[in-house]
Amino acid sequence: MGVIELDRLEVQLGGRTVLNGLTGELRGHAIGLLGPNGAGKSTLINTLLGFHEPAAGRARILEMDVHFERMRIRQSVGYMPENDSFIGNMSGVRFVRYMAELSGLPANEALERAHEALFFVGLGEVRYRKVSTYSLGMKQLIKLAQALAHGPRLLILDEPTNGLDPMARQRMIQLIKDIRRQGGTRLLISSHLLRDIDETCDEVLILNKGRIAAISNIEEERRSHRNFIELEMAGSTEGFAAKMRSLGCECACFPGGRVKLVMPDVLSARDLYVAATEQGVQIRRIQQRRDSLEDIFLRAMEYEGGRVDHVSLPA
Amino acid sequence: MSVFLHEYQPYSGRTTALWSRPLVLARYGLQEAWSSKITIGLFVLSLLPCLVEMVMIYVADNPVARMLIVRGDSVLEINEKFFLSVLETQCWFALVLASWVAPRLLSFDLGDNALPILLSHPITRFGYLAGKFIAVFVMLSYVTWFPCLILFVYQSYASPQPWAMSHLGVAIGIFVGSIVWIVLLSLVGLAVSSWVKWRVIATGAIFAVVFVPAGVGGIAMAILRTKWGLLLNVPVVMTELWMRLLGVPPFGNPRLWLPTGAIITVLIAAGLMCIAVLNARIRAREVVRG
Amino acid sequence: MTPANDTIRFENVSKFYGEVLGVNRITLTLGPGITTLVGPNGSGKTTLMNLMTGLVQPSRGTISVLGLEPANATQFFCNVGYCAQFDSFPRGLTGFQFVLDGLMLFGMSDEDAHGLTAESLERVQLDAAAARRNIAGYSKGMRQKIRLAQAIAHHPRVLVLDEPLNGLDPMARAESLALFQELGRQGMHVVISSHILDEVDRISDRVVLITGGYLIAQGNIHEVRQEVRDKPMQVLVRCNSPELLASKMFAVNHCVEARLHTDGHGVFVRTADIDQFYRVLNEIAVEGLVKIEAVAPADDNANAIYQYLIGSDGSAA
Repeated sequence: MGVIELDRLEVQLGGRTVLNGLTGELRGHAIGLLGPNGAGKSTLINTLLGFHEPAAGRARILEMDVHFERMRIRQSVGYMPENDSFIGNMSGVRFVRYMAELSGLPANEALERAHEALFFVGLGEVRYRKVSTYSLGMKQLIKLAQALAHGPRLLILDEPTNGLDPMARQRMIQLIKDIRRQGGTRLLISSHLLRDIDETCDEVLILNKGRIAAISNIEEERRSHRNFIELEMAGSTEGFAAKMRSLGCECACFPGGRVKLVMPDVLSARDLYVAATEQGVQIRRIQQRRDSLEDIFLRAMEYEGGRVDHVSLPA
Repeated sequence: MSVFLHEYQPYSGRTTALWSRPLVLARYGLQEAWSSKITIGLFVLSLLPCLVEMVMIYVADNPVARMLIVRGDSVLEINEKFFLSVLETQCWFALVLASWVAPRLLSFDLGDNALPILLSHPITRFGYLAGKFIAVFVMLSYVTWFPCLILFVYQSYASPQPWAMSHLGVAIGIFVGSIVWIVLLSLVGLAVSSWVKWRVIATGAIFAVVFVPAGVGGIAMAILRTKWGLLLNVPVVMTELWMRLLGVPPFGNPRLWLPTGAIITVLIAAGLMCIAVLNARIRAREVVRG
Repeated sequence: MTPANDTIRFENVSKFYGEVLGVNRITLTLGPGITTLVGPNGSGKTTLMNLMTGLVQPSRGTISVLGLEPANATQFFCNVGYCAQFDSFPRGLTGFQFVLDGLMLFGMSDEDAHGLTAESLERVQLDAAAARRNIAGYSKGMRQKIRLAQAIAHHPRVLVLDEPLNGLDPMARAESLALFQELGRQGMHVVISSHILDEVDRISDRVVLITGGYLIAQGNIHEVRQEVRDKPMQVLVRCNSPELLASKMFAVNHCVEARLHTDGHGVFVRTADIDQFYRVLNEIAVEGLVKIEAVAPADDNANAIYQYLIGSDGSAA
C-alpha cells in the first residue's frame, strides 16, 4: 500500500503554477522530502493536508483522497509545522490535550494521551508552564507531542531540527528513529539537512521547480556500491596507488593522504592492508563510500527539465 | 516485579463524532474566557441592573410595598416599555462583555500562529469559527435574553392579574431581539478580533465599529438631507427594531421612522461583511502575491 | 605572535544584563581565517557576537577588533559586517534597496554603492530579478541570502555571521560554505556560529566552545581534541568478528576500552596512543583472521568535543 500516491497533481497559488504534474508513489516507512527553496515542498505538504485544492490531478495519502476525504486524512495525520505555531496562553499539557480532543479523543483519554506524548518526547515539569515561556527546543518538542498525541498513522514533520543545538538535534533524531522503529506510524520528513534525512529515512522524494526530480530508495542505494572505497593514509601514497592499480583497481590520490579507489570484486580490504604494509604506509581510515544522499540529490538537481527519474537499482 | 517499558503506542480507543469538534472549541473558548477575573467582573456588573429591575417589579406588583415606597403614585408600571428598557440595558452591557471576550478567543490563536496546527486537525475553517461563535453566543446569552426572560417569568408570577398570556408577544420579542443582537455582536466581535492584532485595541475597535458609523450616518443625513443616514446609526436601528418586536408604540419624528425591511437589510449586510472579513483572515496559510 | 591589528582580542570581558549573565570573564584571541562559535542556545554566543560587532558594550574588560575599539564607531563599523540571526527587515523595501541603503550609510557615491550592491548580490547568488522584488515575498532562504549580501557588501575585514545557513537548501549551503572558505582564504576574520557541527568541521580553522556564558575551549579542533585527556581517542572499526578484534586489542597495553557496536559488526576502541594503534591494526588486518571493512576515528570532530565538554544538559561537563 502506497503511503503517498500522486497522479498528475497540479496546484496553483496566486495565479502561479507551483506544483506541476507530480506523479509517483511512495511506500517507505520514513519518506524524506528534499528540494531547493521554492521547489514546492511546503505547497505539497499543505496540499496533502488539504489546505490547498488541486487544480488538476489527484493525490492520495494512505489510500484517502487529499481533497475529498480531507477530514478523514486530518484524523489520521499529525503535523509538525516549521514555524512557531502554538497557543501561548495555555500550559503545555492543556495545549496538547486540546489538540488531541480536536482529533476526536474523548476528554479523559485526551488527558492521558497528552501526558503520554509529553513523557515520550521528554518534556517533564515544563509541561505545566505556559507555552509562551518555552525555549526553542521545547517549542519544537511540544509541536511533536501534539502531533503524536492522537496516534496518527502518518506524521508530517517540517524541518524538525530547525534551530536546535547539537544535543537537542540528536535527541530529536533519536525520537524520530524510535517512532519509526515502533512501526505503526509512517513518517514524512522535510528538511534541508541531508544528514538528518540520511539517518532517518529510507526513501526520498526530491522536488525541483514544482516537479519531481527524483524518487529514490536510500536503502537499496546503500546495499549496492560496496566497492567504492575512500582511504586516509599516513606516508607516501604513490607507491601504494601504483600497487593497487597493478592489482586491477582504479585509484586516485588526493592531498592529505587521501586515496579513492574502486575495487574489483575479487579483492578485499585485507589486500589493501597487505599492499600498505609492503609499501610501508599506514592506513588510518577506510570508508565505503556509499552513493550518499548528497550525490543522489546533486544528480537530481542536474536534471533541470524536471523529468521524473526513478533512481533505483535492480534488486 | 517487572520493568515497564513505556514506548510510543498508537491510539486505538473510541473517537468522538466529527460534528462535535466545534463544541470542543467552544468549550475551551468558554474556559479561556472565564479564566479571566475581568470577565467575571463584567458578568456580575451586567447582571446588576437585573437585580434592580427585579426589585422594581416586586415593588410594582406589591400593593403594600407600593404604598410604603412610592406612596401610591403610579409612576412604575410594568409594560412593554419597561421591558424595552430592560432589554436595551442588557444588550448594551452585552456589547461591553463581547468587546472583552471576543478578542480573547481569537487573538491568542492568531497571535502565535496556531492556525496551521489547529486546522491540520479534523476541523474546517467554518467549524473553527462556529466553535468560537458558539462560545461568544453562549456567553452573551447569559446576560441578555436569559435574565430578561427570567424577569418576565417573575413578573408573570408576581403580577396580581393574569399578565403572561396577554404579553406573550413581549417575551417572544425579547427573545428574538436578543438573538438578533447577539448574533450581530458575535460576528462583529470575531471579525474585528481577527483583523486587529492586539487585544486591547481590538476591544476599542469593537466599540468603534458599533458607534462610529453613527457619526458617519449623521454627516450623511446633514449633508444629503435624508433620513437614510440613520441606518448607519446602530443604537437607533436596534432601538427601532426592539420597539417593533416588543410592540412599543413608536415615538419621535414620523419622518425619521425607518421601514422594517431596511433595518433587516442593514443588519444582514453587516453580518455578511463580518463573515467576509473572517473568511479572509482565518486561513491556514498566507499567500503572498508577486 | 600576530600583531595586535590583525586579531580580535577579548581581555577578561564580562557582560551582564542587569543581573542576568551574558558572558563572564572571556579572554580570547582570534586570528584571520574561519572561527566557528559553538554552544547551546542561550550560552552567550549572540552576546559574544554583539560584543564583537560593537552593538553592546562590555560591563568589564576590553575588546579590540583589528586594533580598533568599538567605541570609535565610524572607523569600526566600516571594517565589520554582521549577519544577524533574526529575521526582520524594514518594510516595503526590495532586496536591492535594502543592501543599497546600508551601503549609502557609509557615505560612498551612488555609483560605487550600486556597483558594490550588484557585486555582493552576485556573490551570494541571488539573481537580479529576485533582488528587485519586495522582501516580504521572499522565502526563508532568500532572506538569509539578502542578509548575508548586506553583511559583505562593504568589504569588511571582519565578518560575524549568526547561524548563516539556517533555512538554506543543501546546494545553497554548499555555496555559502564555499564563499566563507574563500573569504577566509583572503585573510578576512570570519566568525560563524552554527549548530550543524559537521559543516563546521569541514571549513573552520579554529573552534570556540562556549556554554553558560563561559569559554570552555578554543583552538584548532584536533588540538582541542588532543587536550581532552580524560577521554582517550576513540576509533570505530567495522569488521566481521569484532570480539576477536577486541581481544587482540586488549593484548596491547595502550588500549583503554573496547566497546562492541550495537549492531554487532563493529567495535569502538579507545586508545592512549593512536600511532601504535594503527600499527597494530594494520598487522591484525594483514594476518587475515579478522576481515576489516571500515576504520574511522569516532570522535576527532566538533560533535565529539561538544559532547565531551558541554554534554547533554548544556552545562560544562
